Amino acid sequence: MANAPGVYICSGCSIGDALDTGKLAKVATSACQVPRCEVHPFLCSPQGVSLIRKDLAEGSIDGVVIAACSPRVKTEAFAFDPRIVVDRVNIREHVAWCQKPQDEDTQMMAEDYLRMGIIKVQKSEPLEPVHDEISKKLLVVGGGVTGMTAAIEAADAAYDVVLVEKSPRLGGFVATLKKRFPTAPPYTELTTDGTAALVQAVTYHPRIQVLTSARILETSGQPGMFDVTVAGESGEITTRVGAIVLATGWKPYDATRLGHLGYGMSPDVITNVELEQMVARGPIVRPSDGRAVASVLFVQCAGSRDKNHLAYCSSVCCMASLKHAAYIHEQNPDAAVYVIYKDMRTPGQYERFYRAAQDHPLNFLTKGEVAGVQKAADGRLAVSVTDTLLNEPIVIKVDLVVLATGMVPNAADGTAIRAVKDARATLARAEATEPQKVDARKKIEELAQHEGTEILNLTYRQGPDLPAFRYGFPDSHFVCFPYETRRTGIYAAGPVRAPMDAAHAQEDATGAALKAIQSVELAARGAAVHPRAGDLSFPDFFLQRCTQCKRCTEECPFGTLDEDAKGTPQLNAYRCRRCGVCMGACPERIISFKNYSVEIIASMIKAIEVPEEDEEKPRVLVFMCENDAYPALDVAGLNRVRYDPSVRVIPLRCLGSLNIVWIADALAGGIDGILLVGCKYGDDYQCHFMQGSELANRRLDNVKETLQRLQLESDRIQLTQLAINEYGKLPALIDGFMARVRELGPNPYKGL
Amino acid sequence: MPEALLIEPDVQFIRNVVRAGGGDLKKCYQCATCSVVCTLSPDDAPFPRRQMVRAQWGLKDQLMADPAIWLCHNCGDCTTHCPRGAKPGQVFGALRSEAITHFAFPAFLGAWLARPAGVAALLALGAVVFGLLALLGPMASPHRAAGEQAFEFANLYPLWLIETFFFSLSALILIAFLGSLTRFVRALRASGAQGPILAGLVPAAVDIMTHTRFSTCRQARARYIGHLATFWGFLGLATVSTVVGFATMFGVMHTPLAQTNVLKILGNLSGAAAVVGAVWLLADRLNDPVKRAASTSFDWFFLWTLTGVIATGVIIQFLRLAQSIPWMYVCYFVHLVLIFALFVSAPYTKFAHLAYRTVAMAASSKT
Repeated sequence: MANAPGVYICSGCSIGDALDTGKLAKVATSACQVPRCEVHPFLCSPQGVSLIRKDLAEGSIDGVVIAACSPRVKTEAFAFDPRIVVDRVNIREHVAWCQKPQDEDTQMMAEDYLRMGIIKVQKSEPLEPVHDEISKKLLVVGGGVTGMTAAIEAADAAYDVVLVEKSPRLGGFVATLKKRFPTAPPYTELTTDGTAALVQAVTYHPRIQVLTSARILETSGQPGMFDVTVAGESGEITTRVGAIVLATGWKPYDATRLGHLGYGMSPDVITNVELEQMVARGPIVRPSDGRAVASVLFVQCAGSRDKNHLAYCSSVCCMASLKHAAYIHEQNPDAAVYVIYKDMRTPGQYERFYRAAQDHPLNFLTKGEVAGVQKAADGRLAVSVTDTLLNEPIVIKVDLVVLATGMVPNAADGTAIRAVKDARATLARAEATEPQKVDARKKIEELAQHEGTEILNLTYRQGPDLPAFRYGFPDSHFVCFPYETRRTGIYAAGPVRAPMDAAHAQEDATGAALKAIQSVELAARGAAVHPRAGDLSFPDFFLQRCTQCKRCTEECPFGTLDEDAKGTPQLNAYRCRRCGVCMGACPERIISFKNYSVEIIASMIKAIEVPEEDEEKPRVLVFMCENDAYPALDVAGLNRVRYDPSVRVIPLRCLGSLNIVWIADALAGGIDGILLVGCKYGDDYQCHFMQGSELANRRLDNVKETLQRLQLESDRIQLTQLAINEYGKLPALIDGFMARVRELGPNPYKGL
Repeated sequence: MPEALLIEPDVQFIRNVVRAGGGDLKKCYQCATCSVVCTLSPDDAPFPRRQMVRAQWGLKDQLMADPAIWLCHNCGDCTTHCPRGAKPGQVFGALRSEAITHFAFPAFLGAWLARPAGVAALLALGAVVFGLLALLGPMASPHRAAGEQAFEFANLYPLWLIETFFFSLSALILIAFLGSLTRFVRALRASGAQGPILAGLVPAAVDIMTHTRFSTCRQARARYIGHLATFWGFLGLATVSTVVGFATMFGVMHTPLAQTNVLKILGNLSGAAAVVGAVWLLADRLNDPVKRAASTSFDWFFLWTLTGVIATGVIIQFLRLAQSIPWMYVCYFVHLVLIFALFVSAPYTKFAHLAYRTVAMAASSKT
């Protein structure tokens, strides 16, 4: 506890023009009784900062409250020892720059924020950095181009690597290719450089241990201390690693589901992968009679960009087909090659290869829909195509039809596997009710195909592998957090993360290797990884009061918590991202961080001075996600945008850490309305902790029922999704909510 | 649903089009910028986008019967705006030369004259023919009385011989034209072009005479003027020659005509216009590196022969006035060889565009 915080108020950056800083200082000294309060015209200057440092060195204060600019700026100037509790009260962006200067309401706002900051520091405890023995060795799963590149990149950066490959040799899919896509200007020629050089570099690298014909039996522990048991050619070994790069690649989409495109109808309908295998063996021939082909038709998007199959674009099939066309013309310059596409997608420099391929007089390309593939009387295949550029349905007779099928991640869905296991356990339980058993059987039928697909075999409570995101890829948000998965310290790279070609996968591997290195380095400092990189706080569990409700273990987006036999949560601190979702979930409120807890936020709410009903000054509490909404409000301040001065903003690490007791506290304290601003959720979620805002919304539904029971209008609480760039929407959002609250009138519980 | 078209690309045709100036044909990715910028493209059947994909796919029969390839005046608007550099204008030029060869009657002449070697052979044939004919002329005759009269061309070839020869040749050429155009019309009809050809000929001819459609091409202002001058100059010369030819044949008129004769004045004016126009067109093609690169023997042969005919025609008149011996006879010989080549090749080379375009415009006109 910081019982004696020093308060330092900056009057620079026009804060002093908008606010009466003397009166503000009086709030600290008289009302809050802090031992020390200074107003400085330029607090972030060396003189200003040394003022604080001097007080700290003298020991006259044990905590610091800086009432100045946003905590998102001047972080270096105001960096103190982590053992000192510091809070930054944002009276610049959130008050002075966005409110009417020298106004009573503006002053009240600043005073409330200062009181909230002081109580926060008083209730917080200093952080104690932890130090455990952290392994900085990395595990790379998969010996294809991605995995080998990740291993080389990490090893060259002086990190030891264990590379696990399930097949007897390294190289992956790319090693089986006759030629690869162009990698250098002018990007019009296929390259023949396979993976031999990379395989050699990996094999002989002193820091890389290669285990082939291997599979992972178990991965236990947490970042910095994963214990991985691998069964390989030389028996079982267990090794400790700090982080994991998952580079298990892809598998082709199951073509047996493409009967409508002729697959299975004739041996002369093959997939692009089968064509590549044929090329590896010898000439391209008709499988039915072994004769060399004179005409070949490629069906692009075979089962891709199709909601009945793969809804996405695999981004490589167009290039693959153009490459295969080159193979065919190499073998027979007079062969006719037809490509039927939805759109040709040859990203980046590959467009140049596409152009070169187009110039070939015997490459015939058209947009179109393949309506059917039939055996023609002459032994060839007749392909009917509609919606063509030729403005009429066409029939093309060819020797061979190649289906350009897409990529499916070679991943295991840990959540699904866990669900099947749970369902089987339900069936085995004697006391399970009949409806429970029906549900369980349904679940097993739906998800049974996931069993046996395990890759990492994690000992996590939430499942033995990474949870799948959209389309089964274990990747997290591809723009904001590439390579991140929902398991801390485990990073996905290459086609297992998103469909991509080898060149892109190599870039990916480099990025993921760097992420893995960051992860072990931060673990060694006891600090969180992205997005709260460097955070030294950890959740504490007051387990004596735990009721084993399992909400925390189920809702943690990162699988941090395991359970003992009774269901008591067991913390794996290094898996934690410090989002506080568990804290929001806990009905017993036994989960807290030293500087972020249910009690701290509740005290901050209580610190807001709620004017009497007859003053007609409503008070609205705004819980803002620290990641997107709070910076957006900063930008609104930067643009000097005005909004209603009745709001009081409390930043939350994630809206998912919202504990509903705060809502009750606020309403009981006379607050007239509560606005929650979090990240977008759903398929295109932007939540930095995957599901926080969605969880908050779910919890809020329950709160609204309670409100109705208390005869309070449910409109008094509103949750809004906001992206970081939508600062322009904030003033209207706040003012609109305020208008609704004024319409509803004062909180009837005010003053009770 | 209409019956599906069985795709059988004519690979030789694609290669021909590529060789005849459509080298960038395959670059087209069907964005249709060309059809949008083209000022001549009709709204209900826009070109050249569709013709581009048909050419890429080697659908020769469809293209040969498509009047749209003749509705294009090769102004180059499409080529200038093509984002992919596929040069639709030049592809159309190549398609037209393919069509002329395709419908040629008799076909072997079309195929023969489509090659540079055939052109050279034609010129050689002309030289041989006129060399032999000169043996029949008065100058070769032992009975010729020297210095009896002024030097006239009739001394080299008697008038009756020239007239008989060229009128007979014209009749054959006309038959060849009619044969070729009949094939063309049959193909047009089969492809669904239902415009009234005979009734449409007059408006089409009026349009061609006035160059109305051609004048709307933005990129081709310079070529438009040159083409107009050449067209009218050539038309004037053809008319004067035909009238004078018939008139002398029936003894109504005797050459040489006086310089003040109306026909003579008209002929000289037409000659001047044709010279200016032809030189203009040649210079336009030679100065533009893009056009120069895209021009094939098909273009050059027609352009140079036409220019040669007109230029030698003007030169021999001056030489005759100067009574320059032996140059006037030498040039006359060259002039006749070139006219011979121009006549014989007319249904099979670019010259034929006049006839095909007129018919195509008529066939695609609205009923």
